[in-house]
Amino acid sequence: MSFDLNQTEDQRQIHDACRAMLAEHYPLSRLRGPATAESLAPLVAFGAFAFALPEAHGGAGFTLLDEALLHVQLGRHLISPAALAAPIAARIALDNGQLEQAVKITEGQTSVSAMVKTKNGILLLGNGAAVLGIIRQHDTMQLIDISQVNRDRKAAMAQGQPIFAIASLPAPKSNNVAKAQTSQTAQILVSAQLLGVAEGARDLAVEYAKIREQFGRPIGSFQAIKHHCANMALGVEKLSAQLDMAAIAVGKQSEDAAFQTAALARIAPNVALENARICIQIHGGIGFSAEADAHLFLKQAHVLRQLIGQTDFLALPAPMAPTREDT
Amino acid sequence: MNLDIEIDDNSFRLRARAWLRANLGVTSSDNIRHGGQTARKTATQWLAKCHAAGWSGVAWPREFGGQGLSPARLIIWYEEYTRARAPSALDCTFVGLNHAGPTLIACGSDTQKSFHLPRILSGKSIWCQGFSEPGSGSDLASLKTTGKVEDDMLVVNGQKIWSTCADLADYQELLIRTEPGSKRHRGLSWVICDMTLPGITVRPIENMAGVSHFAEVFYDDVRIPLSNVVGALHDGWNVAMTTLGFERKTAAIALQLELSVTVEDLITSAQAQPGTALSEQLADLRAEAAALRAMTYRAVLRDGGTPFDGSLIRLTFAELAQRIHRTAIDTLGAEALLDGPMVHDYLESYSETIAGGTAEIQRNIIAERILGLPREPRA
Ligand SMILES: Cc1cc2nc3c(=O)[nH]c(=O)nc-3n(C[C@H](O)[C@H](O)[C@H](O)COP(=O)(O)OP(=O)(O)OC[C@H]3O[C@@H](n4cnc5c(N)ncnc54)[C@H](O)[C@@H]3O)c2cc1C
Repeated sequence: MSFDLNQTEDQRQIHDACRAMLAEHYPLSRLRGPATAESLAPLVAFGAFAFALPEAHGGAGFTLLDEALLHVQLGRHLISPAALAAPIAARIALDNGQLEQAVKITEGQTSVSAMVKTKNGILLLGNGAAVLGIIRQHDTMQLIDISQVNRDRKAAMAQGQPIFAIASLPAPKSNNVAKAQTSQTAQILVSAQLLGVAEGARDLAVEYAKIREQFGRPIGSFQAIKHHCANMALGVEKLSAQLDMAAIAVGKQSEDAAFQTAALARIAPNVALENARICIQIHGGIGFSAEADAHLFLKQAHVLRQLIGQTDFLALPAPMAPTREDT
Repeated sequence: MNLDIEIDDNSFRLRARAWLRANLGVTSSDNIRHGGQTARKTATQWLAKCHAAGWSGVAWPREFGGQGLSPARLIIWYEEYTRARAPSALDCTFVGLNHAGPTLIACGSDTQKSFHLPRILSGKSIWCQGFSEPGSGSDLASLKTTGKVEDDMLVVNGQKIWSTCADLADYQELLIRTEPGSKRHRGLSWVICDMTLPGITVRPIENMAGVSHFAEVFYDDVRIPLSNVVGALHDGWNVAMTTLGFERKTAAIALQLELSVTVEDLITSAQAQPGTALSEQLADLRAEAAALRAMTYRAVLRDGGTPFDGSLIRLTFAELAQRIHRTAIDTLGAEALLDGPMVHDYLESYSETIAGGTAEIQRNIIAERILGLPREPRA
């Protein structure tokens, strides 16, 4: 396994550009107040949805790891799940030989939403106007035409993320199923966003711990708060390492790809939820209010957690040593 | 230790149960915790009904209009109260009954007591607490809101925050710095503040569950008669500390029992198959709730103890409540993304480890005051 994690100048530049684009178009302040549909136009213009697609398919040809790192940034900005749906939908289209469809998706002409199953039906997250929806059923994912499907706006837990109920979906077609690699890629990108949530919560909390004073000193000087912050850092380190591992394994289609992704999918929601919880706690009263951003990280972690999908991890063979392709 | 849990006073239990059954028009599921004038009306009407029938101020001494129930009867009352699903004890009457009233009983003048106590008991006046400030939460003693003595008046300037029900309240227990230049715990006074006075502005703050039951309060030359100071002028810290034990004990019974009901409701609704991870988790939560109940009952029934013992119960409660509500929404699957009572309670549960002393502060208290470890450095 060539485990090249050192970024090239190109990679550094594109990630810096991404950060600037997100700061300009997706400040967290946009999420205060009533939930509205998010415009994905700046992301489309950036090429975010075709980032790691082959150049032959209109993509930018970056690696899956690069794309994952992009989604870490998206995660920090608590972007609508529609931004996860698009790159996955494009891949499902390509998996089924629908190049034209894929291009329309990555260029924002065809809108896609993520869907999740509930006990009684289906929820559509983010973009209520979407004409395509992605849903995960067991280990596979499907891309479904939902243009004719009725949807009802629902009161959501999460400010900032509109949510709609759908009673039933049209019967699935055979040419809309994701290949295994695409399904794993979806878990990688959702996990990357969860890492972004975990990082964002950590940074918000650490910054606050440095400036908020009680008893005449910054609260970050109290060991209780220091340990909370350190625990958030531990969570981020663990999750980001596993993200690298899984993104590389899936990108190269190594034999441990399923194992690494399944491990990632179990860790990611827990780290994000825990960091968001600690972030609220470190903020004290203001953390419990809607006026600080801490709660937004928690709610986004809940949304992403529903999208990740769990596999039967114990049924997968464990790689006893790192998989070596280049031996 | 003489721990004699004698809570089989059956005739009292039946009397409480019969009365609750016959009179409960509202239940805990009514919109009482969501704030607003409707919530105030529901809560105060219910309290008035309790009062008329001799069920208000169950823990207050009889000479001040309360019921003076023994600890054992207090437990029985709250058991029946919770079983009947009567309104949560955490409604807008909470501060008056569990905090302001007991403080007035302990430290108030006769005039203050005879005016305010009957109003609190009957639901005529609602109280809120104005202790925390933007710069003074955990470090309450650093508070800056001032009251300048001018003849027989205090002229109050400053700001309080997180004052629960301030938008509904008639009176506020206001802790302010009355001795110019005083530091920390010295020079503070505990004052009865009439919320209708000129110069007071209340701005409700939305919480992360999307409701506004706390508020910011601004004081701009608010003139409060000196006769509204409770206890001695400049002795407010001691006044504030008198009721620490009372509040934590009685409120703890009601809250603990509500939590037990939440666990049982969750066990019923989850329908977990034996041997699954969920059923194991629910069994653990049920056992934890049982142990918390044991802690609570023991604290209420046994004599002695220190005011700091409340921290053990408070913290155990807070963290268990959060675990229970988290498990509850985990049973919902993707429906956890929709608004609903379980999701609402889950979001609200984040306040448990912040309000009334954060989890970190409670652990400091346990370590320093109960275990005698060296104190943290302080300002
Ligand atoms: C729902 C709710 C209702 C409330 N109702 C009222 C009310 O009615 N009236 C009222 O007066 N107040 C009320 N409060 C305020 C509450 O008492 C304060 O929020 C609480 O004391 C914490 O203060 P703070 O918010 O300023 O946080 P801070 O004190 O700034 O704390 C921030 C973080 O630092 C930590 N920290 C601070 N000092 C230390 C230390 N020495 N060691 C370790 N960690 C430390 C805290 O634990 C916390 O994690 C309410 C709060 C909430 C959330």
